[in-house]
Amino acid sequence: MENQFYTSHQENSEQLVIYLDPEVKGDFEQSLPKNITYTDDEKAKIAIHKKANRLWAVFPDGSHCDFPYYQKNLLAIIQGLSAHFGKSDLSLSFDSFTKTAELTEKKLFSGASLSPEDNVKDLWDEIIKKVNVISAQSQSLRSLMEKLLEVPFLQNFQSSIVLIHLKGTTKAELLGTIWRSEKTQGLIEVKEFNTFFNSIKKSKIKSFLSDSFPNLELPFNGSFLAKEVISRKYSLVALVSRHDFLNYSKDEIDLFETCISLLQPHFERLIDQEYSDKRTSELRVCLKDFPLPLRISDNSTGTYFLNDLFQSELQEKDIFFNKKINKSFSIDLYDSDELRHYAFDLFHFQRISLLGELLNTLRHELSNPLFGLKLGSQLFSFMETSKDNKDLMSEIEKNITRCQAIIENFSNLYQVETETKPVAIKKVIDESITLSKSESREVRKSIHFLSGCDEIKVELPMIFMVQILFNLIVNASQSLKGLSSQKMITINIEADDKFVFVDVLDNGPGIPPEKQSELFKPFFTTKTQGTGLGLVLSRNLALKMGGNLEYLPNEQKGAHFRLTLPRP
Amino acid sequence: MKNILIIEDEILIQQSLKKLFERRGFIVDVSASGKLAIDYILNKNYDRIICDLMLQDISGFDVIEESKKRFSPSEIGSKFVIMTAYNSPQVLSRANAYQCKLLNKPFDNLEEALRIMTE
Repeated sequence: MENQFYTSHQENSEQLVIYLDPEVKGDFEQSLPKNITYTDDEKAKIAIHKKANRLWAVFPDGSHCDFPYYQKNLLAIIQGLSAHFGKSDLSLSFDSFTKTAELTEKKLFSGASLSPEDNVKDLWDEIIKKVNVISAQSQSLRSLMEKLLEVPFLQNFQSSIVLIHLKGTTKAELLGTIWRSEKTQGLIEVKEFNTFFNSIKKSKIKSFLSDSFPNLELPFNGSFLAKEVISRKYSLVALVSRHDFLNYSKDEIDLFETCISLLQPHFERLIDQEYSDKRTSELRVCLKDFPLPLRISDNSTGTYFLNDLFQSELQEKDIFFNKKINKSFSIDLYDSDELRHYAFDLFHFQRISLLGELLNTLRHELSNPLFGLKLGSQLFSFMETSKDNKDLMSEIEKNITRCQAIIENFSNLYQVETETKPVAIKKVIDESITLSKSESREVRKSIHFLSGCDEIKVELPMIFMVQILFNLIVNASQSLKGLSSQKMITINIEADDKFVFVDVLDNGPGIPPEKQSELFKPFFTTKTQGTGLGLVLSRNLALKMGGNLEYLPNEQKGAHFRLTLPRP
Repeated sequence: MKNILIIEDEILIQQSLKKLFERRGFIVDVSASGKLAIDYILNKNYDRIICDLMLQDISGFDVIEESKKRFSPSEIGSKFVIMTAYNSPQVLSRANAYQCKLLNKPFDNLEEALRIMTE
């Protein structure tokens, strides 16, 4: 094969005289182009020196080039010189030389597979150099696999693929390049991956046929070279193929194994990086939906991430935007309207569940004595006694029945139900009015259902709806205190296809325009003894149900709140 | 049917039921304690035993278990009426296992409840 380079320059009788370093001369004895002769004079026009592990070629114009030293490089230089010299009488220049030498080099390295006669050892320098270059350039596993085909002895290979299984995951991944430019990727069952991995590991020849692994569905046909890599976090098989069915030589197998061994730390780095990218994005998703306002800040870089509820788009300063989280980041709750809302939510649920427990206990403790009282009073109806006594006892009995009903209703109301049943809006309003009776005793209530609305059902938690309406009715009643004219609460119910609207109006003083925007802010209150939480909680509950609670400016005197509830 | 035992620790309920039954001509014994009730059951003869489940000392089911010393399962099913304010699924299934009647407290309808208890 090497002889192909020594055929075309025989007619040229002129000789090129070069100096050849004695150290390399020995490597190059047998074959020298006929138009080149050596000299031992270092001052020759062209000199080739060996310095440490590098070759230096010095040209008449003073320019020089250097290569890693190996036999094929030396051959390429001399061949380049010879070819150039044959075509031109001009004195040699570095530029013209390098073009020819590069061409020769390309021929040498990509023209054919390695034959057993080639001095493979000479290639190693170049391979190491190339591996270092491609691994430094690669920012992903995929690009590393693509660039792997640039390594000299792999330049006539078509595919470069890696199969990875990250420990603890349910699928293995396949990715890489086929036909030198086409991207490929896929998922593989862990079982199949393990079978494949073990076959590669056990094999002594490391040269395989794609047909031997029919379950794997490799994206090419033919023989391939493969090498396994194992680490604490992953198992990996790297493979390359020429897409033919020829066997690979021992040298190719050795070189490939060396190559993959050299790449191992880079696999480690790239997998780590890609894996942590995945982890970061998963973390981001988790945090985004975390129901409390969290701020993650990295003090060293000044980046932060807010899992802001209403705007969760990535921002420049977002810690997840540049995918860098140092170990020194901190997570804290930040003070915001949301935090307050959520805190109240939490507060509200704590209160509800406490109330629920309390009511359950009360119900159990009161139901027996009430039952006894009722039986006792019923006993009187069978006794011979005056009508007055009987009437009194029947009144007592009625009151006991009422107590039982109230206890029953309350404890049903405060049961935190996970399922919601369809409930008539009318029942919700009746229930709310019953519960708020103590506050709204002196207030006249008029309830208007617009055509057929009393039949409408909603499928929402009863407790939420009653709580909101209870708040609205109590607020209205309190605002009416001290009003000398007829106190009045009007509840209007109307509906469209999607929503039920419950309007609660009163004829009290209303909310001054400048305070209307403050209404739903925590701790805002117009009462002397209010917490300023009622409306905040109510709106939160309404939003939670997919509805809303808002204040509508009232043309007449008085306040006007509108509760919107979604229809099933 | 003549003799009834009422096991109920809420005295107002116990005494009211006693009076209601006596007005209807039954002979009624009462017990607020489960242990005392077991004593009565093993040594006296009752046609009907009305038993609350939540007693101060032991549960109504314990009373029934102890009564097995004297009565066959079918006798237990016909003699006992269980009264309870907690009709959880567990209570229902246990009462079913004894094949005895179950009444929820408070009674929805007094006459109806009295009829069931004396049937």
